[in-house]
Amino acid sequence: MTKRRLQFGTAVLAAVVTAGLLTQLGLGGSDKVQIGNGSVSALAHAARTSDALPQSVLDYPFAERNFASRSGGGSRLLQQQGSLKLYAVPGKGGMICLVEVDSAAGTAGGACADRDVLRTGSIYMADRQEDGSRLVVGLVGDGHTYAEADGRQTPVQNNAFVLNDVEGSDLTVGSASASQQVDIGG
Amino acid sequence: MRLRFTRRWAAAAATAVLLALTFASTAGAEYYIYWWQRNMAPNAQGSHQITAHNKIYNELYFGPNAGWRSEVWEVTPAGYRHFDKWCVGNCFNAHPGYYYTYSYCSNRDGGTHFVYNCKDQW
Repeated sequence: MTKRRLQFGTAVLAAVVTAGLLTQLGLGGSDKVQIGNGSVSALAHAARTSDALPQSVLDYPFAERNFASRSGGGSRLLQQQGSLKLYAVPGKGGMICLVEVDSAAGTAGGACADRDVLRTGSIYMADRQEDGSRLVVGLVGDGHTYAEADGRQTPVQNNAFVLNDVEGSDLTVGSASASQQVDIGG
Repeated sequence: MRLRFTRRWAAAAATAVLLALTFASTAGAEYYIYWWQRNMAPNAQGSHQITAHNKIYNELYFGPNAGWRSEVWEVTPAGYRHFDKWCVGNCFNAHPGYYYTYSYCSNRDGGTHFVYNCKDQW
């Protein structure tokens, strides 16, 4: 009798451990979906003059603390929409940075995070606009083809996307075969 | 002749004064660390509330290899929020000094994380 109980307990314990392992390995939640390996092929493109970051961005203390090179070496212009430009910049350690510069508004911003973030989501910035909506710009790894918010989809170009007038607190980035939910807070 | 000479000097002096006034504000700009090197609980707020200033820069720095959600923003003494930016990881927001504001930053991840500093400039 005692032996049977021991066997039953062992079986239950094994099942719990197996379920836990499967969950941790990413089979148990949509937030663990992985797309690509986190690489950003736009950074490997041949450099052009337009890839250089504005000096004003390099002068911010953020640049010295986060960029792999104080001069912003290796940066690439990912997209330009009107006066808004998006750049990818190699960061210190395992980081990669997204920088936005709006020459008309006279604004600039940046976000740097570990490259691993790109496996399961996006390095993004969400700026609240005067009407309460948000402008969301994001950097995604290779393999992502679209970003979507409030039922509107925009294509990923050069590892980047721009979503205007976002009202919700999340967005979706994905490929033809998988998608990832990204919580943008707010 | 003497009158023309005086006018030239007056014009030159006025130009010099104008230039000095133009650059005085940028020459005096400084960075102020207002919250630094602490474990920051989720949604806790670092802020600089000594006096409101015409802020032009706001930054949160978790440290190297950060990957957590963050937010920097500014609030006027009347309570209006401006220049509100949510990011993933270390984050900065540079903008024209349109408003007299207090600066804030926050760790918006679900866990407590070490923050090296929150910084602003006016």
